Amino acid sequence: MSAVVAHCINIESKLGVPTVPLITSEFYTQVKTHHTIQKGMPNLRVTYLISPVWGKTAERLRKEIVMKSPVSGKMIMQEIVEGLTRPLSAEEKKTGIIEQSAGPETFTDTPDNLQRVFMEKRMTDYMPIILPTEEKVAEMLKGTSHQPDEVVGKMAAHTAMGGADNVEVFEHWSYTVKTVAINAVMAGCRPEYMPVLLAVASTNKEAISVSDNSFTEGLIINGPIRDEIKLNYGLGALGPFSQANSTIGRAWNLLSINAGNCGRVGTTYMGTVGNPMNWNNVIIAENEKDSPWQPFHVRKGFKPSDSVVTLCEGWGVLSAKNSKYSVWQKEMDFPGIVKKIVNDQDGLFGALVVLNPTVATFIKEAGYDTVEKFTQYLLAPAEGQATPEPAPTAKGPGMGRLQVNIVVTGGSNNNYWSYGGMACRQSVLIDKWR
Amino acid sequence: MKWHLCAALIVVLCLSLFCSLPAQNNQAQAQGKMAEQKITVLSPMGKPPAIELKPMAPRPGSLEGKTVYLVNDGYLGTDLLLGEMEAWFKANMPKVNIVYRLKGGGGFTAEDPKLWAEIKEKADAVVMGMGH
Repeated sequence: MSAVVAHCINIESKLGVPTVPLITSEFYTQVKTHHTIQKGMPNLRVTYLISPVWGKTAERLRKEIVMKSPVSGKMIMQEIVEGLTRPLSAEEKKTGIIEQSAGPETFTDTPDNLQRVFMEKRMTDYMPIILPTEEKVAEMLKGTSHQPDEVVGKMAAHTAMGGADNVEVFEHWSYTVKTVAINAVMAGCRPEYMPVLLAVASTNKEAISVSDNSFTEGLIINGPIRDEIKLNYGLGALGPFSQANSTIGRAWNLLSINAGNCGRVGTTYMGTVGNPMNWNNVIIAENEKDSPWQPFHVRKGFKPSDSVVTLCEGWGVLSAKNSKYSVWQKEMDFPGIVKKIVNDQDGLFGALVVLNPTVATFIKEAGYDTVEKFTQYLLAPAEGQATPEPAPTAKGPGMGRLQVNIVVTGGSNNNYWSYGGMACRQSVLIDKWR
Repeated sequence: MKWHLCAALIVVLCLSLFCSLPAQNNQAQAQGKMAEQKITVLSPMGKPPAIELKPMAPRPGSLEGKTVYLVNDGYLGTDLLLGEMEAWFKANMPKVNIVYRLKGGGGFTAEDPKLWAEIKEKADAVVMGMGH
């Protein structure tokens, strides 16, 4: 993800100072065919380095900067000097506005051909879709009182984690209520899911991040809407065992691909290994009925009767049985186990703890009658430890302080639970999109 | 008598088979027609923004006597990389004044207004790394 390109374009155009951004060669396609064009400086003089740079010794880097760039074939330091000094060409001085089009508004063909066309144009997740005819979309639009042409938001392939005061790295595409409905039809949603989808879409948050980290996203859904749309929060809550759980995350993906221009491998998607949770994201409806604590959204300041969706981002979740701290024993110290696991998480996203009702009840009975009290215990220094140090983060400056989010879902048939490095950064009301 | 009954049964079966064939054919044909029938569907795409072409900054022609800022955006290893580049400038272009700065803010995308103001005032050129 080349924030460097965006910063350099601003330095050139706003400060009037010439720049040469340094980019690793694996990002050539992204920078040349997307970033520089979309940011309005297609001829930015980028020098591409031998990829990767991270992990190399100073001695090795000393040799590499006088070697040929894998892209231009020029000696790297010479290319930098030339980039800063060579007079601008007429092409490089061009200004103006270029309008863009996302293609035709409709497609006409046989159903089989349309499935193929949508796949070839990368308007799907490579799985079959429900074809969005005018009739099906009209039916989907009955799930909300909002007008089809109302603009819901704008999305880019990357949302800065720091919030405001960040350079815009990717361009933002805008979308309407109808765009959301079309993608919802394609994903197999029912009309009654529309308020959830619109609430998510209104946050402008992409489901498929460009990051080479291969992030996944998550939704925690609370309030009456869970039962209204039959979200599963019992046995197998995180799996594909209800239509709502299986399609809401997919609709968010399709919206991101089509309405946010996300997930295009090589330009707006650079995940090194990818993430299987990207198929549907991590969809969690809280089991408020069986949780021993206040619901997640109430702890965030909403009323119990509110329907709320909380957006999370990170590496994903996996079973706590993955951890060496959680081996089967006759007697389980669940608070202690959760504490050890939480404090092993990277500070970038902190920890999302997904407890099932029985483990949550064990923890409550151990003296933690509120989540706040339990969280305080989790973040307090362990015995013999001076300060509660999260595992060091391998990212840039100022990124993250360990945060912990706890949600209760799933069945009560055993003592299994999950965790992962996921941060929950915003909660939005679903009801306003009914 | 038995023979008559058997013959009648065979005739009835043949007739029912004969009558059902066109229906089956019709059903298959209908399905085939549906598969061949063209339908119109809506595009799921959002609206891309217009691109505003921005002017690049004029170049100084030579770096001799100029100040070049080496700006670290914060990614791992960039300090080592820019350190080696600074050493290269000192060894190969000693008349270039090199200034190293670590961009502040809470991540790669964060703005650093203080640094931008300093660059505007003091820098003749900027090398920034590292896009990864």
